[in-house]
Amino acid sequence: MRFRTLPSGRSARCIGALICASIAVCAQPSAGQATLAIRGGRVYPISGPPIGHGVLVVANGKIVAVGEEGKIKIPRGATVEDATGKIVMPGIVDSHSHIGIIANPLAEDSGDANESSGPIEPGLRAMDAIDPADPNIRMATAGGITTANIMPGSGNVMGGQTAYVKLRGNTIEQMLIPGAIGGMKMANGENPKHYGAKDKAPMTRMEEAALARGIYEKAAQYRAKWEAYNKASAAGDKTAKQPDRDLDLEPVVEVLEGKRTVHNHTHRADDIMTALRLSDEFHYHLVVQHGTESCLVVDELAKRHIPVSFTIVDSLGGKFETINLDLGCPGTLEKAGIKVALNTDDPITSSRLIIRQAALAVRGGMSEEAALKGLTIYPAEMLDLGNRVGTLEPGKDADFIVLSGPPFSVYSHVLETWIEGQKVFDRSNPQDLRYATGGFGVADRLPASSRGGN
Amino acid sequence: MRTLRWFTLLLCVASAPGLPVQNIAVLTDHLYTMADGAQGGPGMVLIRDGKIEAVRPGPHQSSPDGYTVLKAAFVTPGLIDTDTTAGISGAFNIPADQDQDEATDPNTADVRTLDSFNPNERLLKVLNQYGVTTVQSAPGPRNPIAGRAGIFKTAGIGSTPATVEQLAVREESAMVFNLGETPKITYGKKEKAPTTRMKTAEIIRHELSDAKGYEEKWDKWKKDGADVSKQPSRDMKLDALVPVVDGKLPAIFNAYRADDIDTAIRIGTEFHLRYLLASVTEGYLIADPIRRAGVPCLAGPVMQRFESLETANATFENPAILKRAGIPVALMTGYESYVPKNRIVLFEAGVAAANGLSMEEALRMVTSDAAKILGLDDRVGSLAPGKDADIALFDGDPFEYTSHIVAVLTSGQLSYQRSK
Repeated sequence: MRFRTLPSGRSARCIGALICASIAVCAQPSAGQATLAIRGGRVYPISGPPIGHGVLVVANGKIVAVGEEGKIKIPRGATVEDATGKIVMPGIVDSHSHIGIIANPLAEDSGDANESSGPIEPGLRAMDAIDPADPNIRMATAGGITTANIMPGSGNVMGGQTAYVKLRGNTIEQMLIPGAIGGMKMANGENPKHYGAKDKAPMTRMEEAALARGIYEKAAQYRAKWEAYNKASAAGDKTAKQPDRDLDLEPVVEVLEGKRTVHNHTHRADDIMTALRLSDEFHYHLVVQHGTESCLVVDELAKRHIPVSFTIVDSLGGKFETINLDLGCPGTLEKAGIKVALNTDDPITSSRLIIRQAALAVRGGMSEEAALKGLTIYPAEMLDLGNRVGTLEPGKDADFIVLSGPPFSVYSHVLETWIEGQKVFDRSNPQDLRYATGGFGVADRLPASSRGGN
Repeated sequence: MRTLRWFTLLLCVASAPGLPVQNIAVLTDHLYTMADGAQGGPGMVLIRDGKIEAVRPGPHQSSPDGYTVLKAAFVTPGLIDTDTTAGISGAFNIPADQDQDEATDPNTADVRTLDSFNPNERLLKVLNQYGVTTVQSAPGPRNPIAGRAGIFKTAGIGSTPATVEQLAVREESAMVFNLGETPKITYGKKEKAPTTRMKTAEIIRHELSDAKGYEEKWDKWKKDGADVSKQPSRDMKLDALVPVVDGKLPAIFNAYRADDIDTAIRIGTEFHLRYLLASVTEGYLIADPIRRAGVPCLAGPVMQRFESLETANATFENPAILKRAGIPVALMTGYESYVPKNRIVLFEAGVAAANGLSMEEALRMVTSDAAKILGLDDRVGSLAPGKDADIALFDGDPFEYTSHIVAVLTSGQLSYQRSK
């Protein structure tokens, strides 16, 4: 097979943009306008039971109808795609990813996830470091991911504001989801302790918690100051002095006000309890990220209704806090009524393998139904996007994927990925296939036999 | 490929991991002996004294008296990981348990995995629970000449902790050479050689050349009457390299980028080495030269992170493309620097099977083909009379994500049994 050669890197993207400029469909990341009907496939709406021979109708980037074939009217003029023998399900939501912010390859200058100059960095925004051209993003669409929570790393107690994005567009502005301000990354346990090596705080878990409490107290004070000022000026008090704006504390206030969810990297059971203790004290929305030992504190999570965005890897270890990794944990959490998402933590696991993450949870004892929800609606809810993505229901964004076979089979492939009614990945396209199977540079490389020589 | 699953594992005689060797009959609907002949039909494997006594294909087998019966939907030979640091690079990933890289000298031909291998390392248990019963444990990626690998079982016999000697299948199995980024980055930071690929190749060629001269010197001394007063001085590093230049000990060249693979072939050809290529991330880009050189490949894990430029072109299709080019291929997991601490060849083979290989071809890469490439096929890698009773039992297609290993036999002993 021969592939069209393009110069590598940025220049290739410019050429790509020029080619696209003349084709309406790829000129803009805006919602697809045409009406499309996918018929004949087995449809997993997630909001209800699977439909044996289903129809999905989308228009203007939204889902118009979902149901059994014959019962759903396919609008006249709709483009009809036959999905007989295939699976149609919602686009996958990765609730823990670093695509674009830890770009491929993992060279030193392409890692922007950890601002290791200070442990409390709420003013940082992931959006200011995400490279929309990172090949990892296209690889994620090849894995069926349509929405992601792209986060700063776990090197800081408070690592910065996360970005809730759709995996389309050439700028971060085009990727961001309107109205979604993103979350706040926190971390406890081993990773933030690296400051100890520089003779800086924190070097213990005690200090990590103290630093976290400190920033929340400060933000609470800041909020009180503004409230007092707003109240006074509303009452016509001309002498009221407006407090200085603090870009670090504003997003922390959003956490305290329940507008911004905390995504807390936490593995060990006692660290999970510390995360719970902080969220109890400051009444914020918490998602336990990783949750390696969450089964050991399952009751504590269940009674607080704290969801877990679980990370599965092939073997235990690599660091102390993952030494008790247990494939059975997601299933145990499910049985306790806890909502569990399965994430990639890309680059820890390639985004192309996100369905495998959930399949391994099934191997460990989770039900297939919960595992499908753990790829779709549960992570969507963890990002407060449950009303927009995560199921196939009329009115929701037309984000869906087409699979070649049963979702949790190793032999199944993602054939197509659609975001808001536009196809962003098509396995039958050789260039797209490279992103599904090959490394980031593969599209630029040719086998030696094709390059001549030998 | 979905077939019936037997969630029950019948055990007629009370048995638990760690009990002494006994006679076992393994019954299955899908027997993959990986010996010659058709695969996947029903059959029975009889085990006596840790070895395979008989393989009886066909349905409705009844086990002889006095045999513990194990049943599973799918049965394969115990899997082989042809190149890993498991056993010397521990799960905790702290200096206390990391013994894979003696990065103090670019030539550590004198070191052996055997002398660092921890038989009680928990990663070995993890591998065993995924059906991996044999590993070639090799020094890590940092030294141009890294030392000698060994081949070990992942579980011992009996209830007491095994010694490394008890686990060893071959105490010294290969000399490991590393090319590409890692050696030059390792020593570049110390402002020592090598800081370039040129120097890495030069160090290897230099030492191999010296080993030849060293051997000639000793041969001449012996020929001249072995006068003790004129005995040449011993050099442990060159001593270790003599069997390599003699073609008695295989060399493993760990190389990722296509040109580094080419360098390995160049050196292997120049010194007439018996050698293997390992990792071979970009092997698919130069499959023809590899085939012409007649070198088997140990293909690295394709689910690995792209940690460097030299692994950035990894593709799930690498094992399939190499295989289609007519190259003998086995799978390996290599070294992991972070989470997860080890890859699993069972999972890697599954991805290979989903990306261009048949299920049986992929299975051979972690069983019979792996054993042949390592020269172990008289003992492991297939189920045939006289071979070690290393067997993996599954409740479904071995590569399906949602299948389970229900039991593992290592040297005829139940080393793992699923609890539900």
